[in-house]
Amino acid sequence: MASENLLELNDIEAGYGRAALVLRGLTVKVPAGSVVCLVGPNGAGKSTVLKVASGMLAPRSGSIVVDGEEVTGSGPQSMIRHGLSHVLQGHSVFKEMTVAENVSLGAYTVKDKAEVQERVEFVKNLFPVVADRWAALAGALSGGQQKQVEFARSLMVSPKVVLLDEPSMGLDPKTTSVVFEQVVRMREAGIAVLLVEQNARRALETADIGCVLDLGRVHITGPAPELLEDPQLAELYLGGGGGTRDADPTEDPTPSEARSPELSSPAPERT
Amino acid sequence: MTALITQAVILGILLGGLYALLAAGLTLYFGVMRVVMIAHSAFLILAAYLAWAFHRATGIDPLFSLVATVPLFFVLGVVMQRFLLSRLKPATLTMMSVLLTFAIALIIEGMLGFVWTGTQRRISLSYSTASIEVFGANIAVVKLVAFGLAAVSLLALYLLMKATSFGQALRATIQHKEAAALLGIDTEKVAGYGFGLGLATAAIGGTALALDSTIYPSLHWHWIGPLMAIIVVGGLGSIPGAAIAALVLGLSQSLLQIPLGTTWAQTVFYLALFLTLMVRPQGFFGGRLAQRF
Repeated sequence: MASENLLELNDIEAGYGRAALVLRGLTVKVPAGSVVCLVGPNGAGKSTVLKVASGMLAPRSGSIVVDGEEVTGSGPQSMIRHGLSHVLQGHSVFKEMTVAENVSLGAYTVKDKAEVQERVEFVKNLFPVVADRWAALAGALSGGQQKQVEFARSLMVSPKVVLLDEPSMGLDPKTTSVVFEQVVRMREAGIAVLLVEQNARRALETADIGCVLDLGRVHITGPAPELLEDPQLAELYLGGGGGTRDADPTEDPTPSEARSPELSSPAPERT
Repeated sequence: MTALITQAVILGILLGGLYALLAAGLTLYFGVMRVVMIAHSAFLILAAYLAWAFHRATGIDPLFSLVATVPLFFVLGVVMQRFLLSRLKPATLTMMSVLLTFAIALIIEGMLGFVWTGTQRRISLSYSTASIEVFGANIAVVKLVAFGLAAVSLLALYLLMKATSFGQALRATIQHKEAAALLGIDTEKVAGYGFGLGLATAAIGGTALALDSTIYPSLHWHWIGPLMAIIVVGGLGSIPGAAIAALVLGLSQSLLQIPLGTTWAQTVFYLALFLTLMVRPQGFFGGRLAQRF
């Protein structure tokens, strides 16, 4: 049965090995056709949320629901079949393979050749650089181009939700803008996006819904434009000043003061 | 003198081809799993013994033993990866794999001695002593057959890696395991098959070796040093690097046998190893190039 939320992470507790919990009762919902961004200081557990959602890390408790179907405990292969696609932090193209091979591997689980060809045309239209550099070695592309190849690869399985982990990491401001434009194009193509980003201001400018994480919990969630205008949030996470000034990716968006006493302890969710 | 050099060049190329196949398997283990497979040459000798035993029991050409040994070694490789090597902790995998595969090599050597004794064995075929003239040099037919077997196997390996879905998955797993897993590739299974593929090359190489060599249980120690040197010179994990280094070093060894004799010519592998470690420690096709097929 179709659900309004394509992805729901409910009351998730998760951690690595025997170490302490990273996520402590986290709940995040991604509605259809929306971009939801997770922002917060280093160590808040943002990337761990994506690893749990894509099946790379099994939660210790809580539930994961994709399009109305509970899939808690499924591995990455199963999550792909359920419509989740995960683009890793940093560069994860197969550098010594061509763009064509990289994109084709995105459809590794798709057996129907006609469907694969259809998806190839779709991603070539969505990301012109993929079509332009089709026969080039992926490792020879610029950082921004590699990121677009990763996006294209992730869309080869016709995902319902794409999980993007810090897509602007290591990119210059101009390339960052291109990457965020592609995130908007994914939404326009009807694909929901769960975005983790250190460049909090830029992420909130792109997203429909923002979630502020700290110490493994969502502390504040609400419409992204409202969070952008929130003076307290601006002070803590967006480098101060409020408003919507242009983002500077070279600036550390999470100063040490970000881990404030107010946000270090559980706070009521504001929606 | 010219005829002697021509003969040495041709024999060097033929020997280099066999080295290339054997080193390709060895470097594949490292590329897939960061495993240093000391037992590779022991499996090589095991395959040679199986070819010899098959010929002795049936009288049929030992090349036909490949029908059984290639799949058998592939399965052995998958089992070894799944039940032994994948159990090693990732942090110490490379070092511990040396110890583990050293033990496996000793077990194979002991088993060969137990079953077939330490007596030297040699296959005698109708074409064992036949030779043909190539550019004025006499070349043994068995050496040509061994080279042909190696060349066909390397070509098949190349096509498998380059043109099949499994090959793409294996290359993706070698280059970025986490990203490969997120595309739905069962990276553990693919790594197991990659390991099996490496061991299957030992089955082919061992059979090729048995056509032209006297074999005995401890012969693998004679082979592992040169093979290790080849994959370091070529760049650990690089199949093309291993193939090129194998041809160059095989040719060098063959040419050096003229002035230095067989024993001293063997040192070319170790000299090349030392020089590589001094000049280019990652090997001549190492680093990112190692992932290019």
